[in-house]
Amino acid sequence: MRDHAVSPSIRLTNVAKTFGSVRAVDNLSLDIADGEFFSMLGPSGSGKTTVLRMIAGFEQPTTGTIELAGTDVTAMPPFRRDVNTVFQDYALFPHMSVLENVEYGLRVKKVAKAERRSRASEALATVRLDAHGDRRPSQLSGGQRQRVALARALVNRPKVLLLDEPLGALDLQLRREMQIELKEIQREVGITFLFVTHDQEEALTMSDRIAVFNEGRIQQVATPRELYESPTSAFVAGFVGTSNLLSGAAARSVIGREGMFSIRPEKIHLTDVPDGASTAAGTVRDVVYLGSANHYVVDLDAPPDATGATPTLTVLRQNLTDDGVSRRGDRIQLGWLPEHVIELQPPTEESA
Amino acid sequence: MKRATTLAIAAAVGALVLTGCGSSGTASGFKAPDVPMAKKLGANEGAVSILAWPGYAEDGTNDPKTDWVTPFEKATGCQATVKYFGTSDEAVNLIKTGDYDVVSASGDATLRLIAAGDVAPVNTSLLKNYGDIRSFLKNQPYNSVNGQMYGMPQGWGANLLTYNPNVVKPAPTSWASVFSPTSPYAGKITPYDSPIYIADAALYLKNTQPSLGIKNPYALDATQLAAAVAILKTQRHQVSEYWSDYLKQQQAFENGDSVIGTSWQFIVNLIAADKKPIKAFVPKEGSTGWSDTWMIASKSKHPNCAYAWLDYIGGPAGNAASAYYFGEAPANAKACSVIASTDKDPSFCTTFHAGDEAYAKKLWYWTTPVSTCLDGRTNVKCTTYADWTQAWTAIKG
Amino acid sequence: MSTRPRPPGPRTGLLLLPPLLWLGVAYLGALGALFLAAFWTTNEFTGDLVRVFTLDNFRELFQGSVYRTITLRTLGVAVLVTLVDAVLALPIAFFMAKVASPRLRRLLVIAVLMPLWASYLVKAYAWRGMLSTSGPLSWLGISPGYGLTGLVITLAYLWLPYMILPVFAGMEKLPDSLLEASSDLGAPARATFRRVVLPSVFPALVAGSIFTFSLTMGDYIAVKIVGGPTQMLGNVVADNYGVANNLPFAAAYAIVPVIVMLGYLGIVRRTGALENL
Repeated sequence: MRDHAVSPSIRLTNVAKTFGSVRAVDNLSLDIADGEFFSMLGPSGSGKTTVLRMIAGFEQPTTGTIELAGTDVTAMPPFRRDVNTVFQDYALFPHMSVLENVEYGLRVKKVAKAERRSRASEALATVRLDAHGDRRPSQLSGGQRQRVALARALVNRPKVLLLDEPLGALDLQLRREMQIELKEIQREVGITFLFVTHDQEEALTMSDRIAVFNEGRIQQVATPRELYESPTSAFVAGFVGTSNLLSGAAARSVIGREGMFSIRPEKIHLTDVPDGASTAAGTVRDVVYLGSANHYVVDLDAPPDATGATPTLTVLRQNLTDDGVSRRGDRIQLGWLPEHVIELQPPTEESA
Repeated sequence: MKRATTLAIAAAVGALVLTGCGSSGTASGFKAPDVPMAKKLGANEGAVSILAWPGYAEDGTNDPKTDWVTPFEKATGCQATVKYFGTSDEAVNLIKTGDYDVVSASGDATLRLIAAGDVAPVNTSLLKNYGDIRSFLKNQPYNSVNGQMYGMPQGWGANLLTYNPNVVKPAPTSWASVFSPTSPYAGKITPYDSPIYIADAALYLKNTQPSLGIKNPYALDATQLAAAVAILKTQRHQVSEYWSDYLKQQQAFENGDSVIGTSWQFIVNLIAADKKPIKAFVPKEGSTGWSDTWMIASKSKHPNCAYAWLDYIGGPAGNAASAYYFGEAPANAKACSVIASTDKDPSFCTTFHAGDEAYAKKLWYWTTPVSTCLDGRTNVKCTTYADWTQAWTAIKG
Repeated sequence: MSTRPRPPGPRTGLLLLPPLLWLGVAYLGALGALFLAAFWTTNEFTGDLVRVFTLDNFRELFQGSVYRTITLRTLGVAVLVTLVDAVLALPIAFFMAKVASPRLRRLLVIAVLMPLWASYLVKAYAWRGMLSTSGPLSWLGISPGYGLTGLVITLAYLWLPYMILPVFAGMEKLPDSLLEASSDLGAPARATFRRVVLPSVFPALVAGSIFTFSLTMGDYIAVKIVGGPTQMLGNVVADNYGVANNLPFAAAYAIVPVIVMLGYLGIVRRTGALENL
């Protein structure tokens, strides 16, 4: 996975961080290439934000080294690192105008006033806020503040931009717009974006690659497609998208093999089961109306799985016609192609 | 801001308490307001509130062995509460609150108290010890009006030039050591913090600058006052602190923050008792001093206990104890033999010239400066205590 | 904005009556009495109050250069004490709010508050001992003695908690992310302090300065204890009232700090700091 030919934009080597007795980050190594849109995805407390804060310099790793563009910055204070951060709460200076906020990085680096002004205005134009320079942050909407924070970071032309759940506080509509906008800006400026989020959809939409975090460790690093189509662990399969997990006796009965398996809901057919498909019979327990599609929750006629629960498959079916294939209690036949069955690695024992 | 408010509340309260008696009259020829005098005594009320110079009413709190208030309480059944004051002005001010029955007033307070109607004439025939009081202390201008006594004399003494003999060498002989503009003890001089201290400077000028024509340090015309103020302003730069709280002065002498200044025998005794170097004397120019009189407040709530206190403190035992402790000449002629026997100090009264009328007349007792010159001059108006008060603020700057 | 407050009913009015009475009668009434007394005079001999309207007190106040000197000295001491306290409080409050662990922070808050439990007089006399010629400071070779320097030191000590506490509260309100953002944008510690911390806690500093400034303006006891021969405004007022028994002049002079403080609050209001209290 490591590319030793050119220095990666960010390189973490055996980085660990403990807070008291809590291991927030556990022996982590990672390379992020120049110009990459890289996401760190995971539930809260999985260590992803700590990694970001160590790269920014706000936290010191307990062990390990951090390199930026080939330079070891482990011991460097934040203000010497060529990275900039967009904070979750935006961290705009309330006593400064929008323009002054954006100018801040240039001002403390003693950039001449004229250049400062023009670069800040330019950055504000990039985020389409050039008309709001005189306002105070408190007079802006959440989305506008978000864009000011972005402009304030980008105006310094950093090699790496760190984004700590920057869209978390926005409503769904705005979040979707900002996702697209962020991606466009990244393409425009061409610098490395390191993006922290707990929203798998957000990560899948925007990223070149994603690292899935759990309990201070990286579970899998892959492109969005690989992550979705070939998760290597039950955690990744469960965290990225919805997943049907089968194990133990249920796996033996339904898949016909020993192990742990996942089938994505949209890969299961309810009607017109294709040729060569594996099948299973069951009873519809619930039908969930999602608008463009329905979720069918089906109890399989199979022995309980490794956890002792009745094996259940969730099926996603587009509402192409209002046929209303099945209702609660209907007996039903399910089918799927064998290539859509993903075999997962058993959970590692040592992670306890 | 808080303090301004407190002051204002005090003002509001004060306005209720103060009785605008309006007995202005002309300065020394003033007319005493008509305050009734006790004709006979009744039963003691069980309590008496005493306003005193520090050291005049010791009840054992400073030193368990020094206690002449408790015997009084046992004998009369009057429970005494004692409040000490630091300056005559403070006493004049406190007595107006009406909270006190008796006050030990010096000559710079007595006439002001009488004129304001704050104290009542005293019926000396009700005081059985009055007869033993030395005659040169009776019916004096500072304790009587038109032959009517306003109290029981306590004693008299001098303001002493006091110094730390370990530091001040050679031993001083004159007040010049505190008024000289080139004192080697600059920054360690401690004058008394009251406008009446202007008289000390005037007394010094009376001897050193005869051309000023000062005859009485309490009778200063504008030019004479200006001269006194000028040397006090020079002294200001050499002052460690102005004192009115005797405990602070004691501490300053003991710690070496002050090494020379004006003090009282009583404080000198306290310092000596702490085994610290201290000496005090009356310099060659003479001294200002005090002659104190116990007076009864016109608003006294316990007049019978007040008379009892006057009789006790002016009596041989009480007068001996208080005068001995304070370090002054006792007013009661019989007090000297009490001091000789109980305190084993037969020379005390000789030291303080207790019976020496000629010596007593050499001291310039504190008295209130008024516009009619006390030295008999009629061609000029003298400066008043109000002028002295303003001058004192200006001196301290 | 969400729910409009109900207009106060008669019961709310009743509840407000005692504090309003207190404010109106006891507080403002007392100030009014003070103002009124400033136009009276006293009988120069007996010291009794004479209730006749006169401007003499104010005339004397403005003509006597000594009062101007004392007022300026008092102002100077108040400014100095405020500056010393601000300079001391900023790093202490910053350490308490942003560096110390929660446990240490609690201990430090107690440590800052503790001197407030001790009597003012005890603390002032403690400094009298410290500043004495033979006191602990002289063992270190510093002996400012009694006077202006000792006074500024003592007052700065006495009022320091009143400066630390608001500044500490202001620092606590300052989000960590702002400090991180500043550092992240390339500002070294000093620039962050000057451009982010200082402007953010400025209202708190102003709040603290109102305490240190007004408490110093009114002090006269510490002056007596450690000020040596120094006279401050409060001493002249106290001497005139308590010693010379000249209440009217004391009242007239006591109006000076009231005016100074009103002026100071006016300036403070213009900075907008009061809205943030």
